[in-house]
Amino acid sequence: MDASIIIQIALGGILIGGLYALVAFGLSLIYGVARILNFSHGTLLAVGGVAASGIFAATAWNPLLIMLLLVPVLAVFGYVFYDKLLQPLTKRNHFEYTVGSVLVTVGALLILSDVAAWIAGPAPRNIPLRFDAIEIGNVILSTTQAWILGGIVVFTIALHFYIRKSWFGRAMRAVTQDHAGATICGVKADRVHALTFAFGSGIVGIAAVLYAMLFPVDPYIGFSLTVKAFTIIILGGIGNLIGALMAGIFLGLAEGFTSFFWATQWAPAISIVLLLVILVIFPQGFGRRKTT
Amino acid sequence: MSNYRYWLGGGMVLAALALVPTSGSAYTTTLLFTMLISYALAQSWDWVGGEAGYINLAHFAFYGIGAYAFCLSLLNNVPIPLCFAIAVAVTSTVAFVVSFPLFRLSGDYFAFATLAILPLTELLAFNFDFTGGADGVVLPPNYVLFEAYYIAIGLVGLTAIATVWLIRTRFGYALKAIRNDEEAAEISGIRIFPAKSKVLILSAGFASVAGALQGWQLSYIDPTTVFGLDVALVPIAMALLGGSGLLWGAVVGVIILSLFNQLLIVSLPILQTAIFGLLLLLIGRYMPGGLLRSAVVRGNRWTGFLGREHDRFVTATAGAPDTGDLPLPKIAVAPGTPVLECRNLTMAFGGNVAVDNVSLTINAGEIVGLVGTNGSGKTTLFNCISKVFEQKSGEIVFLGHDLAGARRDEASKLGIGRTYQIPRPFSDLTVAENIAMPLMNRGDASATLADSLGLATQFAAYVGLTDRLTDRADSLNLQQKKALELARALACRPRLLLVDEVASGLTPVEVRTFVNHIRELRDDYGITIIWVEHIFSALAQVVDRVIVLEQGSIIADGPLDTVVRDERVLSTYLGSAAPLGSAAPGDAGC
Repeated sequence: MDASIIIQIALGGILIGGLYALVAFGLSLIYGVARILNFSHGTLLAVGGVAASGIFAATAWNPLLIMLLLVPVLAVFGYVFYDKLLQPLTKRNHFEYTVGSVLVTVGALLILSDVAAWIAGPAPRNIPLRFDAIEIGNVILSTTQAWILGGIVVFTIALHFYIRKSWFGRAMRAVTQDHAGATICGVKADRVHALTFAFGSGIVGIAAVLYAMLFPVDPYIGFSLTVKAFTIIILGGIGNLIGALMAGIFLGLAEGFTSFFWATQWAPAISIVLLLVILVIFPQGFGRRKTT
Repeated sequence: MSNYRYWLGGGMVLAALALVPTSGSAYTTTLLFTMLISYALAQSWDWVGGEAGYINLAHFAFYGIGAYAFCLSLLNNVPIPLCFAIAVAVTSTVAFVVSFPLFRLSGDYFAFATLAILPLTELLAFNFDFTGGADGVVLPPNYVLFEAYYIAIGLVGLTAIATVWLIRTRFGYALKAIRNDEEAAEISGIRIFPAKSKVLILSAGFASVAGALQGWQLSYIDPTTVFGLDVALVPIAMALLGGSGLLWGAVVGVIILSLFNQLLIVSLPILQTAIFGLLLLLIGRYMPGGLLRSAVVRGNRWTGFLGREHDRFVTATAGAPDTGDLPLPKIAVAPGTPVLECRNLTMAFGGNVAVDNVSLTINAGEIVGLVGTNGSGKTTLFNCISKVFEQKSGEIVFLGHDLAGARRDEASKLGIGRTYQIPRPFSDLTVAENIAMPLMNRGDASATLADSLGLATQFAAYVGLTDRLTDRADSLNLQQKKALELARALACRPRLLLVDEVASGLTPVEVRTFVNHIRELRDDYGITIIWVEHIFSALAQVVDRVIVLEQGSIIADGPLDTVVRDERVLSTYLGSAAPLGSAAPGDAGC
């Protein structure tokens, strides 16, 4: 077998894995802070990606510009979504809080994907941007891919330091560790929850544009992305961004090699089986005590 | 409340439903059929969700597996009754197998994992050849609506019976205890894993028949219709809309949502999924506790009965006349025989040794005070003895039984009762139900629910909770919760009672009452007692001796007078500067 094929597959796996990780970052922060399983998280990417490719088709803007447009929109959506629909549930008992947040986020998932399919049609679409190909031996990498790869790494590191060093990052970590304690120390926990939702949803805006540049998106791919993101945060540790990036790349590679060596249709099973296996071996969550 | 009225009412409803196919249109019959199936699904979800408190998002997977097992069997010319049997058998087996890994998880992680099962089953159905892949399974065309409808009526009847049975049996109460606090449930003598596994299998079995019927009636199934996420959460939404854990919850939720869904299909050509999503969202946002728990429903004289909580459906056997006695056996004490022996007991958490090589013997009829500074290992020692923790090394022998590897419920049934320093009542159950929990889980079949609730009143009277019997435990104040802890521990019929700081926070008068209780329990009922307490003046009134722990080791053991003059004890409590023979610790404290 040609080594260049393996490298080619590995590159593809790393790319898609990096995108998975971007989706997982937001979910990880949101789950860490608000303890809400946001089932609509991946659907934001699907809908954002559809919107981004629609805008591109209509205007041919630079994807970076589309990103600048999409991120604040999704961030505001995230803020309002938490503030109006989820925050009121925190006053209820634990069971009602959990089932209530499941219903709200699944309801949002169904609404978002159905409305997007109604407006933009259910067909897959992408941002068909042409870049030059870089050939290294038999391995072909487009400049798009190279840029995206670099961008993901830089973004992860920047985000990591932002969360470690900034006031908001510290507030988020404080609320993650002890809600009541953070409140006593003057952190407005409710506001941090809503801002985390905004922050996490905004990151999805970045992921959505990058994803649409590489792969076709349709309004219904969201839920499988959410499951992948769950797998990544369980594997990488809740709130641990570097861990999530590693886990995302691992998942991307595993899927890529499964498709190649076994069968394409089994690749989506990898994340689910991995999630179940990790949960069963580590019932308390893998790498739970690690935080960024 | 008369039983037969319910049977009559339920029977009449089912009989009326049975008349529909002969007089109504096929449309009506199909609609009612869908509602019957939905009820069986929603209600069986609620046995796991509402009763045991586990949010199982994979319930629909059982429905789908049942549908596939049935349709594939039918396709292979298996007789129809056998097809149903195969569907139930396959699904129950799957439920049994997955219950082992799944019930290692709790809370959000359980929801995570069950949610992942749904797309996994969908993927399996897509990818395997024998399931027909994306094409699904197509049965030979055959009009079986009426047959399926009548079986569905039978299924609904059974579902309703099972629900009432769960409300009024010990098994149902075990699930309610699990929902509230698994550790406290075990301490009350409940074996939790088999109970959880059983209810999951029961729920899966009913879901599989629902799936089989649906597949039979449609004569067609494919992966998306039986495993799709948008359909999968519908029964859950129905149960929650009505009111999870309520007898009428699923019924009302199914009627409302099915009719709404029907209206949607008829009147709206587009965005049906979105509107349905909006409905889920609104239910989640505004009434995750259920419509029937709202003041509007409960306050109305005609609809009030729909919102009744489970405890209104059980009746207690009239208790014995209140003589102030406890319904406990009066154990004859043989002084000098050991009840509890710990030998070289060690418990460590990582590198932190909480109990370090402790050996002690507690004799029958003794009241032993266990003291030590905070963090000295007192509660950890209790946790080892009551098997909340398995000791790292050493032996615990209780009445001749070696407790190595014993489960918490076994320790409880052998006669170890305990209270928690921070009370852990079953919050959403009444005081009477809390106390009845250990009584009905003694392992003997004669302890019926009604008898247990009857006996609970005497325990409640003993600790002064008579006027709070029908109140929920989470409405009690801290002192009342501690009293409830003691009552529940006594209801375990202990030979050895471990009391963890019950007196702290009580007024002097209350402390005196409590001390009298402790003395009575030993003198009248022969219960051996270990009492962890910081209030030395309270201990002084009743203990035979005290054991002092410091950093996990015993540093003194003897009569209170002697121990409080022990140099090591003094230095532990007062610092090494304390002169020998100064005031005993605690004298000034109370």
